[in-house]
Amino acid sequence: MVSINKYYLPYPLMRDLPAARGNGNRPVTGRSPVKDRSLGTMKKIIAWANRTFQSEPKTAQRVSFATLFGKFQNILALNNRSLELIAGANDKLGGHYVFDQQYIHSFCQELRELVDQLIYNFEGLAPQKYPGIYKVFREINYDIEEDLARRLVISGSDFVMPYARISREHINVVGGKNARLAEMKNVLGLRVPDGFAITARSFQYFMESNELWPKVQAITEDWQHNKLSGEQASAKIMALIRKATVPVDLIKAVQAELEQLRQRRENTTLHLAVRSSAWGEDSEFSFAGQYKSMLNVAEVNLFQAYKDVIASTFSAAAMEYRRHNGFGDQEMSMSVACQAMIDARISGVIYTIAPSSPRQDDLMISAAWGLGEPVVSGQISADQYTISRKKPHKISAVSLVRKEKQLILQPEGGTVMQAVKDSRKSNASLTNEQISQLATTSLEIEQFFRSHMDIEFTIDQQGQLVILQARPLNVAAQNPQQLCDIAAIVKKYPVLMKDKGVIAQKGIGAGKIFVVNSNADLNHFPSGAILVARYASPLYAKVMSKARGIITDVGSATCHMATIAREFRVPTIVNTGNATEVFTTGQDVTIDAEENIVYGGTIDELCFYGLTTERIEETYEYRLLRRILKKIEPLYLVDPTEKNFIPEGCRSFHDIIRFVHEKAVEELINLHYTQQHDPQSLSGKLRWDLPLDMILIDIGGGITASDKDSDIDIARIASIPMRAFVKGLSSPGAWNNEPLSVDMSSFMSSLTKTMPAELTSPKYMGQNLAVISKGYANISLRLGYHFTIIDAYVSDNLNDSYIYFRFAGGVSDLTRRSRRARFLEKILTENDFVVEVHDDLVIARIKQLPTSDIEAKINFLGLLVGFTRQLDILLISDQHINQFVSGFEMLVKKNTNE
Amino acid sequence: MTIEQKTSILILDDEPIVSKRLKPSLDKNGYEVEAFVRSVDALSRIRERDFDIIITDLKMEGVNGMEFLTEAKRRSPLTEVIVITGFATMETAKQSFSKGVFDFLAKPFKLGEILEVIRKADIKRKEKAAAA
Repeated sequence: MVSINKYYLPYPLMRDLPAARGNGNRPVTGRSPVKDRSLGTMKKIIAWANRTFQSEPKTAQRVSFATLFGKFQNILALNNRSLELIAGANDKLGGHYVFDQQYIHSFCQELRELVDQLIYNFEGLAPQKYPGIYKVFREINYDIEEDLARRLVISGSDFVMPYARISREHINVVGGKNARLAEMKNVLGLRVPDGFAITARSFQYFMESNELWPKVQAITEDWQHNKLSGEQASAKIMALIRKATVPVDLIKAVQAELEQLRQRRENTTLHLAVRSSAWGEDSEFSFAGQYKSMLNVAEVNLFQAYKDVIASTFSAAAMEYRRHNGFGDQEMSMSVACQAMIDARISGVIYTIAPSSPRQDDLMISAAWGLGEPVVSGQISADQYTISRKKPHKISAVSLVRKEKQLILQPEGGTVMQAVKDSRKSNASLTNEQISQLATTSLEIEQFFRSHMDIEFTIDQQGQLVILQARPLNVAAQNPQQLCDIAAIVKKYPVLMKDKGVIAQKGIGAGKIFVVNSNADLNHFPSGAILVARYASPLYAKVMSKARGIITDVGSATCHMATIAREFRVPTIVNTGNATEVFTTGQDVTIDAEENIVYGGTIDELCFYGLTTERIEETYEYRLLRRILKKIEPLYLVDPTEKNFIPEGCRSFHDIIRFVHEKAVEELINLHYTQQHDPQSLSGKLRWDLPLDMILIDIGGGITASDKDSDIDIARIASIPMRAFVKGLSSPGAWNNEPLSVDMSSFMSSLTKTMPAELTSPKYMGQNLAVISKGYANISLRLGYHFTIIDAYVSDNLNDSYIYFRFAGGVSDLTRRSRRARFLEKILTENDFVVEVHDDLVIARIKQLPTSDIEAKINFLGLLVGFTRQLDILLISDQHINQFVSGFEMLVKKNTNE
Repeated sequence: MTIEQKTSILILDDEPIVSKRLKPSLDKNGYEVEAFVRSVDALSRIRERDFDIIITDLKMEGVNGMEFLTEAKRRSPLTEVIVITGFATMETAKQSFSKGVFDFLAKPFKLGEILEVIRKADIKRKEKAAAA
């Protein structure tokens, strides 16, 4: 175990870091030795940071700002390296690579080292502030280690989980059927049976508390040594399970969930469908029909039904499949779906691609009266409808059969096969409206899971469509002929964009463009649209499940949004430069993020090709890497203003990386108020015309040295962001009242007339401070009663660049202050910042811009800061907001033109 | 492909996934492929017959890749050897090339990459054979 107390001993110097990476200097135990390869990478990163900011504290107790800033630089480097590594591992699943277990192990090792270092540097920056982060790191790491050791990780999960709480990352504990049903309900808003999952942990607990594993193992060995036939072994194990006792605490947990379900159903007598929901990325597909499902189970019989269903894990066919494919018992687990029974009027199955369709542009529905079980198992014949996949989903073929029998519910429980009334036998089971609804819904499901689907549905006695199950449909590989056709087909469409930017997630999608200009636009994002935006913001996670594609002007393949897009499998191209100018809302396009082309119009053939992806590899290596990436890649911490944006809210390595990044920026901003500055740093007072005292502290290449001068001329500022800020602040009209054009001067004179005297006096200007380096500036201003912070960093690496702006304080009443906040929000939002407003506190962020854009934005902020210092006094009415906005815009224009 | 004989390839990697991924693709590209996971088996096979191209891992139990490829080159100097390894260092790369290895690929690699390397190795082999 790691001793947290030891961990807070004075942190080693930056130059010690490479040596501290093994089990040596670092006061943390229990680490595996570092391999040469990852050490090499780390050395490069640390060396880079050291080169950039070479400075050392004299003692460990008194750490210089430069050292802490160096830690921040390490964090940025580690952040990028980690995200690249994760993206690289994700690429390996794409099908182009040959990788082995050795790779998976070294990937995990390297990433673990990076995240460990990230937290370590973060600890140096914010000692003892977020102790929880290391605990979360260890927990996630433990789970990954278990996976690498081929043990199924379900520890820590609940015995039961209602559908409302299940999301896709619970697939290991609730199985594929439960997870997809819950996602369709929670994300797509489709009607599915109400219910809950009895998790894989319950299964393990049941097996363990009855001491069944050793017995199962003994029987399995007898079978493997041919002492028993498969059938015999299976029968023996199933009998053991049926005779075993369900543990009391498991019964209690299930009953509590049943009670909740009963309350939701406003019904005292529950009848349940108890279905298998196997775990395993592929076994569930190969086992269609092997596992048991029990219908219309009375509450009293629930636990017997539960045992019957989990016993079917050991059907002879399932055992044989596992042996053949090298699945261990430890890799296998069974979850169970427990659902309120639906009284079905009509049931059936949809294939979103009809197997027999020659042009592959049809979907197929089979439907019959009553429950769906006999349709699925082929016991009764069903009507068949072939429908176009294209709107308005024309019916191309109908084959009606005489439906003699139907399976129905018995009032006391169970089901019975019954003769269909003569009058209904030859009637079509579905109406045209129902067919159309089924087509639309099934294609929506297909789009969401990005695969052709096999869907079971029911229409209940009230006529409501309920989805019972949806799983990927394995379609035979495309014949090569189709590829030639596609090449010919796409030639007919105009190319709107080609080879611009970077593909962040491969795939193909078609839809109408929706340009997102502000976060509020996301609330109106239409399902099936293609998101176009200036920046790649992680906030788009909100609409990711509805988007068929994403194109941004700015961004990188390793940014947070790109990682989310990969998780949702949304075809994504970032950093195109001008997508927001090329595309307009409402335009029909097809995005091919395989070839990096955007076509005008909808190319169905191309989309179809994208859905018919090759069968996912069934090898252990692919399964292992996928499973491990689930603990690494998903990003749950999206919004820094959310309550769960805390160490304890981190559930993946990506969360930790994001949390540390966000908080490190915050930490740095607050740093120099608690930090004694190193007197040996180059520093001095800025010499300029403004009535504003500003101290500059250089931490590396921010100021050009001069022997004779202790004050600093503007010309000596080498810091890129600082120079831009000073330029903005000293622009005509921003601070000083230099002669202006007629309309501008009249506007400005209206301001100066009412300008309170105290605001122009240097006496009230307070202490102003800037900590700068060549690419960095942290500027704190106290103008009048306002308190402004600007923290900005420019780098050749887009991912590192950011500006953080914070504006707070103010002497006037809350109404005026909130007007000022609204003014700033408006101006900043229009200038591409992501803005948060809390009362009179305004926080604006912008990230990942090229250096020239960052300079322009900082220049703009300089102008804005100067302009805003008197605002809350002057904003005497709401109308003034717009007046000031247009006034400021004039000022910006004026300064841009000059 | 002309009517000439298929180019023969031996793959040796102790992780079965590597051959599992490579073999179908090489088959489709018209090569004749034999795959091994144990170096002793591969060693006894090259004592029975020569291969045009050998693709081998380096770090393996028993006979390691370097020993294996040295023996293969000794028996059949015209055989082109491609090394695939997850522990790529300058040292092992240098050592491999000094043994006359055609190319050195760090795992993981793209299927397309190794196909290209194989194609070039095959051309070189044929040129050498024609000159001889």
